[in-house]
Amino acid sequence: MMWRDVWAVIRREYLQRVRSKWFIAATIGAPLFMVGLIVVPAFFVNQGERNAREIAIVDGTDVLYERVAPRLEESGWEVREQRWHADVVTELRETVEAGELGGFVMLDELTLESGEAMFYTIDRPSTIRQVTMRSSIARSALEYQLDQRGVDAASMLEGGELRIELLTEDGTDTDDPAFLVAYMGAFLLYMAILLYAVAVLRATLEEKTNRIVEVIISAMKPWHLMLGKILGVGAVSMTQLAIWVLVGTLLFAGGIPMLIAARPELANLSEVRDLLPGLGLVALFIGYFVFGFFIYAGLYAALGAMCSSDEEAQQAQFPVMMLLIVPIVIVTSVIENPGSAMAVTMSLIPFFSPILMWGRVAGGGVPIWQIGLSFVLMALTVLAVAWVAGRIYKVGILMSGKRPTLPELMRWIREA
Amino acid sequence: MSDNGFAIRLRGVTKRFGKHTAVDGFDFEVPRGVICGLLGPNGSGKTTSIRMIMGILHPDEGTVELFGEDPDKTRREKVGYLPEERGVYKKMKCIELVTFLAEIRGVRRSEGRRRGGEWLERLGLSEWADKKVEDLSKGMQQKIQFVGTVIHEPELLILDEPFSGLDPINQDVLEEIVRDFHAKGTTILFSTHLMDQAERLCERVCLISRSRKVLDANLRDLKAAERKGLVAVEFHGPDQWLAGPEVDHVEHVNGEVHLVLREGADHQAILRRGVESGAEILRFDLVEPRLHEIFVRHAGADAVGDAGLPQGANLGEV
Repeated sequence: MMWRDVWAVIRREYLQRVRSKWFIAATIGAPLFMVGLIVVPAFFVNQGERNAREIAIVDGTDVLYERVAPRLEESGWEVREQRWHADVVTELRETVEAGELGGFVMLDELTLESGEAMFYTIDRPSTIRQVTMRSSIARSALEYQLDQRGVDAASMLEGGELRIELLTEDGTDTDDPAFLVAYMGAFLLYMAILLYAVAVLRATLEEKTNRIVEVIISAMKPWHLMLGKILGVGAVSMTQLAIWVLVGTLLFAGGIPMLIAARPELANLSEVRDLLPGLGLVALFIGYFVFGFFIYAGLYAALGAMCSSDEEAQQAQFPVMMLLIVPIVIVTSVIENPGSAMAVTMSLIPFFSPILMWGRVAGGGVPIWQIGLSFVLMALTVLAVAWVAGRIYKVGILMSGKRPTLPELMRWIREA
Repeated sequence: MSDNGFAIRLRGVTKRFGKHTAVDGFDFEVPRGVICGLLGPNGSGKTTSIRMIMGILHPDEGTVELFGEDPDKTRREKVGYLPEERGVYKKMKCIELVTFLAEIRGVRRSEGRRRGGEWLERLGLSEWADKKVEDLSKGMQQKIQFVGTVIHEPELLILDEPFSGLDPINQDVLEEIVRDFHAKGTTILFSTHLMDQAERLCERVCLISRSRKVLDANLRDLKAAERKGLVAVEFHGPDQWLAGPEVDHVEHVNGEVHLVLREGADHQAILRRGVESGAEILRFDLVEPRLHEIFVRHAGADAVGDAGLPQGANLGEV
């Protein structure tokens, strides 16, 4: 009987929200927006350089062209070889000035020794183009030198392999891609938890202000209604996150290579992929979101039951907001020093765990027992919050007029 | 199971909010199958009593029984409850709203949807079934709320001020439905401060004022007991026959002649005298006391300060 009621509330809440225009717009709009943010600037930068992408390479070493050319072609240049002769620079210069060639590169003994090379061109190439060309040449030179010494250059240049054995919990530099993942993830967690917890608040407040709650409470326990609402909004949030993760995965796994294949000059997009977190991290993200949501949804449901108008709720939510703002303010320093006493302590406080513990884990270097402990503490907090919030909800949901003072609130919790 | 023939039974029920006593030692019974009116001015404790019957509030003292048992969920599912402050989910489609309200009272979704369709048709709202509630006019929204109240075919209807805010035509529609339910054996309790409505519909009335019960009786018995000896007459011809030992004094009210009789007076004697006097008597009417008057008399005597309540005053403003 309990679950029939809870289920009816979940179902109503879920369908109502998922069918709303807002939900559809946000669910589809957000990934499009993100893609736009990445693709559009890259597209414009590359568009301008299209005409200038054919270049000549003058190889004074006789060993570098065969290594450099495929790398440059891979990054979207069109390459042809020009044999060296005394007037080659003057000759090529004229071709470039005539607009028949984007530019030309001179490779010589110095290139072999230090990776230095000259690129003659009219328009200054974008930073990305500069980087790809520089690294193509330097890698080729390095590869040649290593081959000469009988070293497995290919493996080296693939990036080698690094096995990590942590002796201390080391810091994460803000330049590190891991920092970006940790910070962005923490911020997303903050946004998502707040967004959906406030949705619970609004739903509660709506029922209360338009008084339908009295009919519903006459047919079911307030606690069941609260549970149904939280689970319903939670299900909506999971749907939205699932769609986003799915679309994101498809875009990055399939979309970007397809885009690059069609438009080689967008090759640098593939670097974005390096920033994507692994599957384990995604699971952890979802874990922290779910627990964070339940903690804050409970608090916000109680808040909604205490207030009788939007304005009032706006004011009353300040203390609860603080619980979310504190971790987002200190998350940067926690990611940078994940092993400090402050970071460990703060990230184990259940109200802060979703953001801070996530930040530490994604930044790297957190003992597994701390992750486990954070989940145990969050689970206990979910139960405690549900108990307290349920009692406040039960009394508050039928109240109208003045918001209770703290002593009154204590009495509600005791007497409910 | 102790089904005692009462749909509702309250014994010594008291409810306090802080220092304010909202309901004070309330004893109240509604036999099954009866239409009962719970009457009283605003703030007299009607809504609090009803909320206790519905298990939304719990009494500080005394006991509440629904169908002879605790008002638990099983019992409450047999009740259709229309609160005074009515709400809807504005963004829901009408048919979905009534289906949801059926579902939380134990009606299967498919069945709830079917009944919802029937009700909407009966109330002429079929074409609105798939429209959002917020698109409906206020009157139509109230009808939807009413459908939501009765869709699970309750054995007991509790309607808190059901007619307020409805136009006369919709009031009639609703009254007719209430009568229909009564004919089918449904027990009905409704609160109102509109005495006329109560007088038309109720078999039984309970009057409360200032948190206390003032009167609780069968309406017909009450009227008989309260009849204080007033005869309205209309006639042509001589009027000397009006004066006599039975008549205390004569009043002229709204163009009618009212004879106020002395206690124990025989009104037949007056009628006989009138006929013999040769007057043409068009009307000789033993006036029943209006519920309103009864209420004012009792509430006034009981509640300090209400004694001077003017006739015809809207009790809602007391």
